[in-house]
Amino acid sequence: MLLENIKKNKDSPLNTAIVAGALCLVCALVVSTAASSLKSMQDANIALDRKKNLLAVTKFPAESFATSALVESTFSDNFDVIIIDMDSGEEAPDECLEAMKSIGKKWKAEELTDKYDQYLASKTKRKEVCSKIASADDPAGVKYREKFSYVYILKGEDGKPKNYVLPVRGYGLWSMMHGYLAIKPDFQTVEGLVFYDQAETPGLGGEVKSERFKGQWPGKQLFGDDGEVKIQVVKNADTSDKHSIDALSGATITSNGVTDAMRYWLGPQGFKPFIDRMKSSATTDATSSDQKETGARNG
Amino acid sequence: MAKAKTTKELVVEPVFDNNPIALQVLGICSALAVTTQLTTSLTMAIAVIVVTACSSAAVALIREYIPSSIRIICQMTIIASMVILVDQVLRAFFYDLSKELSVFVGLIITNCIVMGRAEGFAMKNNPIASFWDGLGNGLGYGLILVVVGFFRELLGSGKLFGFSVLPLKADGGWYEPNGLMLLSPSAFFIIGIFIWVLRTWKPEQVEAS
Repeated sequence: MLLENIKKNKDSPLNTAIVAGALCLVCALVVSTAASSLKSMQDANIALDRKKNLLAVTKFPAESFATSALVESTFSDNFDVIIIDMDSGEEAPDECLEAMKSIGKKWKAEELTDKYDQYLASKTKRKEVCSKIASADDPAGVKYREKFSYVYILKGEDGKPKNYVLPVRGYGLWSMMHGYLAIKPDFQTVEGLVFYDQAETPGLGGEVKSERFKGQWPGKQLFGDDGEVKIQVVKNADTSDKHSIDALSGATITSNGVTDAMRYWLGPQGFKPFIDRMKSSATTDATSSDQKETGARNG
Repeated sequence: MAKAKTTKELVVEPVFDNNPIALQVLGICSALAVTTQLTTSLTMAIAVIVVTACSSAAVALIREYIPSSIRIICQMTIIASMVILVDQVLRAFFYDLSKELSVFVGLIITNCIVMGRAEGFAMKNNPIASFWDGLGNGLGYGLILVVVGFFRELLGSGKLFGFSVLPLKADGGWYEPNGLMLLSPSAFFIIGIFIWVLRTWKPEQVEAS
């Protein structure tokens, strides 16, 4: 018997190798089975958590997203989800679908907003769906920027957009911090900022998720009079200043990461084209902007 | 080896008489990190109980085949697999908690208690006794975590399991929360007081000076 043989002579090099190999194999099997069988539930949790954060950042009361069913219904009742081409700022769901198809994701049009994950698209590094950023233009450590981004539009009671939520991200000290920036339709005033996924040092940089930090954002102004991104996280900030957020103590690099993320995603490579397009369409006349919103709902 | 212990002894002894944190002072790191709230303390406690019990049983099951030259790494492989398993289950079923616990679930791998039981007990005993021993030590660890979590959440944010118990001044109540309780050092104070109480109750635990 092999087992008896191993037991009797367990310190021989051959048996050591056999035991080590067998143990690794069994453990690898257990771990990979668990990981792959629980994957779909974990993905559903992540999607739900993102929606929850979208609701939280646009100041829905906690009761409105207490259960997963409530999250889904509150979200679908109040939000329009659109996909834009980041370079032009135009809505581009079909182009996005086409681009994803070219890298082997054969989705139906109606599945797009369930399946498209812009961060994963940027991680593919495929030129069809993302573009490499020159390091001089990349303060936030984004490296590859996806060509298509979500924009979440919160509808007000009159059917007009009440908030726009833009997905942003930036590298802190240890991790990519993924967040949602909610802004008012003037594309100038912050409604809120939340980071839903980060792995900064708990207690220091991890405080980006704290109420104390998040609470400073509402009402702040994003752009200066010259149109440049002015919002920033600085040490000992004068909190009455409309562009300044007080930094996290003991977490300079995380704080800078947040500033850099704002600069990047509100800048010309980020959502600037979209913002400019929305602003100019709002000023031309009210009717045309109404039509745009109908278009958004259909898209 | 001394007379075999009964199941009850195996489970109860590490909780009070030979508590891994209070007497052996092991596993302090995670006891500081995850105990600001009772819910996370309890989850962490359950995770550690499951990992210690199951990994001890698994190590004991194959103890006669583990070559002594690679026994530590074999134990680590088993423990690490168990921890990943627990982490995956938490992510699938308790996503919010797993987000709160973040890296600390993964760090159970480095918890000296788990490793200590595998090497110190499971390598010499049968799987069933090892399972109970792991369970008992996990419970001993969990007890401290829950006690620390209880005081930290109550005094630090006036809540238990997230429900308001002491109405905070900020919300119109009378209680001014003690901010220190939300910081790691407070866990040292509470563990210290716990050890003091335990040793007053059981003077035999006091080390000879």
